[in-house]
Amino acid sequence: MSSTAICPEWDPINKDEWRGVWVFIETLEGEVNEASLQLLNPGRVIADKINTELVGVIVGHNVKQMLKEPIYYGADKVIYVEDSRLSIYTPEIFAETLIALIRRYKPEILLAAGTLRGREMIPYVANVLKAGITADCTDFDVDVKTRDLIMIRPPFGATLLAHIRAPNRRPQISTVRPNVFRLPERDPSRRGEIIEERVDIPEPRIKLISSQDIRVEEIPIEKAEIIISGGRGIGSPEGFKMLEELAGLLNGVVAGSRKAVDAGWISHERQVGQTGKSVKASLYVAVGISGAAQHLFGIREAMTVVAVNNDPEAPIFENADYGIVADYREAIPALIEEINKRRSKAR
Amino acid sequence: MPLNIIVCIKWVPNTQIVNIDPNTGTLIREGVPSIINPHDLNAVEMALRLKEKYGGVVTAVSMAPMSAKTGLEFVIGMGVDRAILVSDRVFAGADTLATSYTLSKVIEKLRPFDILIFGQETIDSSTAHIGAQTASWLRVPYLYYVVDVEYINGVVRATRRLEKKIEVYELPTPCLLAVAMKSNEPRPVKLSHKLRAKMENVIEVWTNNEVGLKRECIGLRGSPTVVEKCIVTPSVPRKKQRFDGQDVREAVKWLVDRLIEDEGLKII
Ligand SMILES: Cc1cc2nc3c(=O)[nH]c(=O)nc-3n(C[C@H](O)[C@H](O)[C@H](O)COP(=O)(O)OP(=O)(O)OC[C@H]3O[C@@H](n4cnc5c(N)ncnc54)[C@H](O)[C@@H]3O)c2cc1C
Ligand SMILES: Nc1ncnc2c1ncn2[C@@H]1O[C@H](COP(=O)(O)O)[C@@H](O)[C@H]1O
Repeated sequence: MSSTAICPEWDPINKDEWRGVWVFIETLEGEVNEASLQLLNPGRVIADKINTELVGVIVGHNVKQMLKEPIYYGADKVIYVEDSRLSIYTPEIFAETLIALIRRYKPEILLAAGTLRGREMIPYVANVLKAGITADCTDFDVDVKTRDLIMIRPPFGATLLAHIRAPNRRPQISTVRPNVFRLPERDPSRRGEIIEERVDIPEPRIKLISSQDIRVEEIPIEKAEIIISGGRGIGSPEGFKMLEELAGLLNGVVAGSRKAVDAGWISHERQVGQTGKSVKASLYVAVGISGAAQHLFGIREAMTVVAVNNDPEAPIFENADYGIVADYREAIPALIEEINKRRSKAR
Repeated sequence: MPLNIIVCIKWVPNTQIVNIDPNTGTLIREGVPSIINPHDLNAVEMALRLKEKYGGVVTAVSMAPMSAKTGLEFVIGMGVDRAILVSDRVFAGADTLATSYTLSKVIEKLRPFDILIFGQETIDSSTAHIGAQTASWLRVPYLYYVVDVEYINGVVRATRRLEKKIEVYELPTPCLLAVAMKSNEPRPVKLSHKLRAKMENVIEVWTNNEVGLKRECIGLRGSPTVVEKCIVTPSVPRKKQRFDGQDVREAVKWLVDRLIEDEGLKII
């Protein structure tokens, strides 16, 4: 057997038959998921570079009123499956529907939001197709000659970015966390083709028995304007109370680094960074956070970054707009006092 | 019918203590010990709870270098019955497709199994791919983010947590569940259990002789993705102004002035 033999489990493919850039548009809970629409941004750039079309793909039930949205945000076309059998999400059924469309149209690239459901179903899609997949890409490029997507992501422990390709397989699949790319401008005057498709949807093997909404009182960090974020330097749950007090004063929310999450001081939903969330706050205050690359990744889109850290050498200072070298147990109460003082004066 | 439960665990570098060489920007791996992926301990815990409630056998599977034996000893200490270390140089360099392929072929050999339990994601690569991909190779239904599981009349009832929802699903066996991070707080190791790990055949080492996979399906060659190169992450330009002085009161005054005057933030 020659050394270039491919695994017999993989269907051989002819790369030249695969054309077009697809963005999987999640439409659960009756609305278009913003994180999916954000991907029309890099999708547009990639499609233009290799001179192909950008397609938004929607599968679900009661999706008709959402079909034009991807076009307003930059897609050339929308392909959709409307089917009552998709009224309840299970990873397999949604994945199989998407796989059937991919086999029919043969797109060369598929981008999908790394939402909870996206992270659940997209690796299955990739595996059935024996496609190369990368998770949590932070940027893309494309090799115009080979039409290889360059999938850029921070690898393990990264201040480095890995450039990854899947040169022999199509489609090339990537997931991207919410807020890594900006939502493109919505232009309701844009027009594009909308194509309905029907596919065989298998009987679901798993059954949803009940679904209950949980009340989320706090503003999610990805929507917050002001964020007070704590790291391992906070040292205790009591320390986080201090940050909460400051956040409350500023109408902001509290977030944390992965080490703060690991320590159990704050929930994973409030983790900032590459494996947490990206934030777009106008003010981000990093307290007791050293400024690791994975953390900094999550605050790329923050407008103003403030660092409070007692180590003058902490890398966060090189990545902040304003820095105070101090023990937070002195600086945060002083800051709270200063704000209160100015407010009572202003009154 | 006692349950045959398989739990997959990964042996990962302890990223908590990995440092970056400030000159080259690369990882300093020397002397960095590996640990069981912390989220996989939650998976082991869920497996053990199932076994306690419904009876059965828990087998842990890890594809890793030989040093992972320590990790498998640890989970035996928690109460796992049997452990398989899949270890062979030919498996090295696998991406998630090739890794899940190898794991699924190992799991095939452990049929009949009822419930496969995975961690939610790893701390070193964080892809959360392997669970869904293994389910695809084995053609079993699967569910992520599971916090609780019951086994009633031959049916698996799994409760899972999404950001704003709690959902309950029923799955037939065999099926695959990925356990939500932080759920199912892992139990401590028991010495009496741990002593078992030293006994013969509790930890089996399987090389590709035992698994029997084609070279073009495993390791680097069985991986559709290739890492082409690594470049240094560009950083976002920031103003980098620092308060010059020791007095904390002065420092916070300066900060509030900057935020109001220079950044136009309405914080007062
Ligand atoms: C694959 C991978 C993904 C990752 N993803 C993420 C991610 O999404 N988000 C994330 O945050 N991290 C992530 N990390 C971890 C990241 O590498 C760092 O380990 C982490 O960000 C460090 O958290 P920290 O800054 O809170 O802790 P440390 O690095 O321990 O820093 C604590 C800081 O607190 C300061 N300090 C201590 N006491 C005080 C005090 N009294 N007052 C003021 N300052 C004080 C110290 O000087 C120090 O700078 C990831 C790592 C890997 C390998
Ligand atoms: N090499 C491996 N051996 C055994 N299980 C693994 C391995 N890699 C990943 N897993 C399992 O797959 C889950 C998800 O891993 P990942 O896709 O790398 O984030 C982990 O939590 C483990 O349960």
